Amino acid sequence: MPYSLPLTIQLVWLIPLYGFSGMVLSLPWASGWIKRNGPRPAAYLNLLLTLVAVLHGSLIIREVLALGPQHLEIPWFQAGDLDLRIGFDLSLTNLAALELVTFMSLLCQVFALGYLDKEWSLARFYALVGFFEGAMAGVVLSSNLFMSYFLLEMLTLSTYLLVGFWYAQPLVVTAARDAFLTKRVGDVLLLMALVALSSWAGSLEFSDLYRWVDTAQLAPLPATLLGLGLIAGPMGKCAQFPMHLWLDEAMEGPNPASILRNSAVVTCGALVLLKLMPLLRLSPVAIQVLVVVGTISALGGALVAIAQVDLKRTFSYGTTSYLGLVFLAIALQKPLLALLLLFAHGLAKALLFMSVGSVIATTNCQDLTELGGLGSRMPATTTGFVVAAAGLTGVLPLGCFWCFGLMVDSFRAGHPLLAGVVLLTNALTAFNLVRVFRKVFLGNPHPKTRRSPEVNWLMALPMVSLAVLVLLAPLVIDRIDPFLAIPSFSSSSTLLVVGSGLVGVLGGVLVQLDAFWSRSLFRPLGMLQDLLAYDFYTERIYKATIVAFVAGLARLTNSVDRDLVNGLVNRIGSASLASAEGLKLGVSGQLQSYVLTLVAAIIMLLASLSWLKG
Amino acid sequence: MLSLLLLIPFLGAFALLLLPSHPPPGRMRAIAITTLALQLLWSLRVLLAFDPHQGGMQLQDSFSWVPMIGLDYRLGIDGLSLPLVLMNGALTLVSAVCTRDISQRPRIYFALLLLISGAVNGAFLAENLLLFFLFYELELIPLWLLISIWGGSERAYAATKFLIFTAISGVLILGAFLGLALLTGTVDFSLTPILSERLSMGSQLVLLVSLLIGFGIKIPLVPFHTWLPDAHTQASTPVSVLLAGVLLKLGTYGLLRFCLGLFPEAWALVAPWLAIWAAVSVLYGSLAAIVQRDMKRMVAYSSVGHMGMILLAAAAATPVSLLGAVFQMVSHGLISALLFLLVGIVYRKTGTRDLEVLRGLLNPERGLPFTGTLMILGVMASAGLPGMAGFISEFLVFRGSIGLFPLATLLCMVGSGLTAVYFLLLVNRAYFGRMAITPPSEDPSADARLDIRLSGVALRETLPALGISLAVVGLGLIPAGLGWLSETTATAMAELPALLQAASHGGLG
Amino acid sequence: MPVIPALLTHAGGRPSVETLEARLLAGQTLLADTSEHVVEVVDVLNSYGVVLDAYSNNLIFQAEQQFLNPFPVFRFLDGDLSPAKIWRHLNGDRINFEYAEYCMKAMLWHGTGGLDAYLDSEPFARNCAAIIRHKTRRDPLLALLHPLFRNFLPEAIRAAATTHALGQFWRVMSDLFLDLARAEAAGTVRTIAEVVAFIKAGLVKAAANPITYGVQLGGERFWVLPPEAGLTFLVDVAVPYVEAVFLRGMPFLGTVSFNAQAQQISPDQGQFTYGALYADPLPTMGAGIPPSLLMQDMYRHLPERLHALYRQRSRGEGDVRVKICMSFQKSMFCVTNAAIDGTFPHALGTAVPAEQAANRTYARAWAERLAVARTDCLDPFGG
Repeated sequence: MPYSLPLTIQLVWLIPLYGFSGMVLSLPWASGWIKRNGPRPAAYLNLLLTLVAVLHGSLIIREVLALGPQHLEIPWFQAGDLDLRIGFDLSLTNLAALELVTFMSLLCQVFALGYLDKEWSLARFYALVGFFEGAMAGVVLSSNLFMSYFLLEMLTLSTYLLVGFWYAQPLVVTAARDAFLTKRVGDVLLLMALVALSSWAGSLEFSDLYRWVDTAQLAPLPATLLGLGLIAGPMGKCAQFPMHLWLDEAMEGPNPASILRNSAVVTCGALVLLKLMPLLRLSPVAIQVLVVVGTISALGGALVAIAQVDLKRTFSYGTTSYLGLVFLAIALQKPLLALLLLFAHGLAKALLFMSVGSVIATTNCQDLTELGGLGSRMPATTTGFVVAAAGLTGVLPLGCFWCFGLMVDSFRAGHPLLAGVVLLTNALTAFNLVRVFRKVFLGNPHPKTRRSPEVNWLMALPMVSLAVLVLLAPLVIDRIDPFLAIPSFSSSSTLLVVGSGLVGVLGGVLVQLDAFWSRSLFRPLGMLQDLLAYDFYTERIYKATIVAFVAGLARLTNSVDRDLVNGLVNRIGSASLASAEGLKLGVSGQLQSYVLTLVAAIIMLLASLSWLKG
Repeated sequence: MLSLLLLIPFLGAFALLLLPSHPPPGRMRAIAITTLALQLLWSLRVLLAFDPHQGGMQLQDSFSWVPMIGLDYRLGIDGLSLPLVLMNGALTLVSAVCTRDISQRPRIYFALLLLISGAVNGAFLAENLLLFFLFYELELIPLWLLISIWGGSERAYAATKFLIFTAISGVLILGAFLGLALLTGTVDFSLTPILSERLSMGSQLVLLVSLLIGFGIKIPLVPFHTWLPDAHTQASTPVSVLLAGVLLKLGTYGLLRFCLGLFPEAWALVAPWLAIWAAVSVLYGSLAAIVQRDMKRMVAYSSVGHMGMILLAAAAATPVSLLGAVFQMVSHGLISALLFLLVGIVYRKTGTRDLEVLRGLLNPERGLPFTGTLMILGVMASAGLPGMAGFISEFLVFRGSIGLFPLATLLCMVGSGLTAVYFLLLVNRAYFGRMAITPPSEDPSADARLDIRLSGVALRETLPALGISLAVVGLGLIPAGLGWLSETTATAMAELPALLQAASHGGLG
Repeated sequence: MPVIPALLTHAGGRPSVETLEARLLAGQTLLADTSEHVVEVVDVLNSYGVVLDAYSNNLIFQAEQQFLNPFPVFRFLDGDLSPAKIWRHLNGDRINFEYAEYCMKAMLWHGTGGLDAYLDSEPFARNCAAIIRHKTRRDPLLALLHPLFRNFLPEAIRAAATTHALGQFWRVMSDLFLDLARAEAAGTVRTIAEVVAFIKAGLVKAAANPITYGVQLGGERFWVLPPEAGLTFLVDVAVPYVEAVFLRGMPFLGTVSFNAQAQQISPDQGQFTYGALYADPLPTMGAGIPPSLLMQDMYRHLPERLHALYRQRSRGEGDVRVKICMSFQKSMFCVTNAAIDGTFPHALGTAVPAEQAANRTYARAWAERLAVARTDCLDPFGG
């Protein structure tokens, strides 16, 4: 480590620690040790530390702009041929992601101060968000796979705890469990790949791994398994089909956490995949799988979203859908496109969830059938929604418009079908956003939306700030990394994107709204509606297959254990101790038989040994 | 220096037994705690004197005891036994501290506790096979008494089962030791692998298998494990802590020290089968844990799963995997002790450990929120979440073994993944939801009649668990310390087969 | 597996609709009359009175001084911006005014009774228009927003009106509860029946108090709830408050799923049973349970007599806030009891059959709603 580096860079290891120390500092309030005073100081401390993290990150960006990318390492554990390090890769893309994550965390924490204003467990919430933020900051800066894995698992844990925040609510109980287990499946597969890589390649530094790939001689099977393992972890984190179930259920958690989960957390997962992208060259199958998963997620997610009646869920499926597009970009080895889309989606989706959060806070309702007419009453919320919708779709020249244009432009030649997937996703998303907008913000007020004043300033302010940021996103992208500068793309692609967006918008404007909650009498259509509304019955399929399999195996093991193994033991036991009565002998009786057996057995063993020797 | 590790607890036990009058139980407990604290302090003193760069035995104490039968009193310590001695010191102290309302024969109880601690130290430190066996057996009887006198309602069955199993284990081990002497024609029971070199592979295998089964019972490995869930469910909390945290480690210690250490060549031959055995054991334990209703039984089956990983590590016998084995012994000891302590608190407060009955214990005012928080931590540590001891241990085991036994390693990782399944069931059932003592019924007005009134948990009751939790997190975040202690020894053990081969080739040439 | 000891469980009875109806018609109290209950109810209402005093002052301060302020950063400070006060506020050493806002939102959202009807009336719209005209002339942000979002400012004014009305309601209740504590200390109130009668007398006395609200904007006074509207204490504010907070309430995020597909929440707000009389006291201070804030506020102002009583029960100091919640529920049954008593269509002793029938219908309606409430706290050993 060159010691001439500026202090801000040398102290980069503090950045994840800000979040973690926020958690530790919240403990006196979260544990109830401070009993008389309210829990808000914990929130303020976390906000302060997050602000410091944002500032520290931007200082580092300034230095890195002047000095070029930096790499820092701290040894952590070394044994034999194993060398595990804490490594930070200070490239501009990583730092931009860091700023996205920390800034999003900051906004979301301010928002939470308003959203959770009547929450007594506020300190625990902030402790968990601090933990969450620390892990995310570490993941995006990490320069090696081990540290990335380490922190991804911490993200899994904090997701579990955040989804389980309202632990007494019955659906939370299963939601938290499913979120953890689904992600854990991905994590374990990733761990398998990680352990194998560590043993084959030696070092787990991404840069070393990239070098190793060039010379690696792997048989096809291990290479394929390795590739699949590597994509499994990010698949779980990014809620891709078929591991998307948790995101739906995770909507049981507090909304501020949903904001982070749908914007920052999925971005972290995708960033890890992005860092692994060069390794996927080992396995064409993994790349194929990535394309298939991305396509199914993009279209399936968008379709399922349209059939949802729940305000939060309809947009959480949208996240699955957009991350599917990111997966496509990664599969086609277009890292810049993936990054761009992650950034644009992250900002807009966070804004969308803030808007959704204020609707829920005001109306106590997230059922689309019971909402309506909020548009003229809630300026910040409505503006937030409209800007977010514009930022997510390719109609107006905001973030995702540029991403879609670039994607269509670069996919068209080699993969026209995938370009079609992008356009279709755009159209379906636009359709869904317009549908929801019409339902929630236009029309006549319903009983639950009859009295709906705008939310308090702690929620409105972050919402408006983020809306401004979404509007400025194209410029921001341009400023942060000239590498990511927005080049122009062909006018035909522009037409395609705008056209697909407009088709979606038009569809959304024209569609009959009650078509979504009344089941069509025409049977096939009704079945399709149900299929989408219940997310292709994924949950039931899981229950019937993998859950049933594990449960059956567990029951089988248990009965083998109880009846066969234990039964045999009891039988032998009663035989060797003369009778079943032997089991009930007094203390001295047992001792005697113990010594007797001991002696007899030793004699037998020695006899057999001397026979062997002879 | 090392002899004091035996003397302190033994003298404490004697002092307790010889106390003239009938002092109150509190005084007995104080004496036991003081003795154990002294023992722990002395273990730390040993730690200071220990040189981690030296792979072999050090700080040796020895005198010839009964030379006629080859029984030498030889104690030594290396990077394998030192962490275990430290853990023994810490966990016996914990189990003495968390023994509270003991009304029945406290004098014998605490004396037995001290006896066990000393005997375990002796077994970890013994450099003579017979001496090891002596201590190995010495620890059995007190434990058996602890279960059969202070256990639950079906303690007689569980204790007898424990006794039969461990008796067979003892027989097999002693048989193998005697057999080794008989076949090599010496009365040298010192720990040296050169001895086995003189034997045919067939005899080596017989002896090794006999040792493997002997220690496999103690670890325990499937299918010799059925005594463990019964023993745990009937044993009181402190005894469970001791059993899971320390006594099971005698089995894995024996595996590494005597199976791998005495028969490196035969070991290499059976290693692939051992890896499969390990995978079966891990999966079996984890699957069986999923359907358990009794929290303690679930934790006990999770022990079967996690201890199986040490067999995998031992089978691979690479420097990293053996270091992983040491890590796994320590982390399993800490984590399972933590879980048993917490389950013990739940049991003491609610009178049940049934997962079909307990609900919503995280309730902040009337439930057990702090215990619940530590439980979540312990459960996550056991599931191998990074930042806690379980992860780095399992990572080292897997990383060290995958090159040799890819399939078995992957299966063990699946088993490790299953840990999350059953432990989340435990946490989500018992701790999440509305607090109640029966499952919430369809009728919303029904649960109001089932409010449970638990007495509060004082801080001192959770203090031992809190201490262990901190150790679990500490080891998970800063594993380099333990790595530094044990790495040289692990490497030396891993190189044993190669060394032997070189030596025997040299001898021939 | 050992069975749970009997003393760990608790069985509280739940009276039937018929029993409740009979008790109401006979003029008996709902809450069993024991000396411990008197201590619990009077002392918990005492601390509630202290808390309500603060709530009321703050709500009135907010409605008058923070009217249409887009960034009411210091709205909980009652205008006192001294460093010491700000420090105590930041340190969480304060009353949780968020709970008062929560109750206001519940009232506004459920929107029942005379006040709510007036908020939709023509005169109110005229008053709003005048205020908005005045405001938008000085405030460019509002001038920009109002034409775009026509209902934004009227809705904010409705919220302010409800805030002020709740402030006025709690003013009366706070004084009443503190008076009750003084009367009990003086020995004039000794039984639960006398407690109920005392509250009923207070409610009846204040029943016709006018509810008015005006704001001072740039030296000019504007009426939001003018005296001409004829809004009164009992019918237009107290009854909607009881409906919104005691009975309906709002679903707690910590106990009910908002998931639309799960359909745990009724689409009809009239069917809601999340109010104070229905709430489960056990999860108090858990996550997602808003009344925890009130329990904490009362805990900070708990009379020593009641605190001492709590210390002897179950976990002592450990679960004191759950016990406060249980006592609070009992006292709210007393208040409800007084309100029902005071609003019978005819005198209970009436001999006219038609009047008796009307009374019976009224009692029946209440009994049906109360039968599914947490009436298990009412018997002597409950709670």
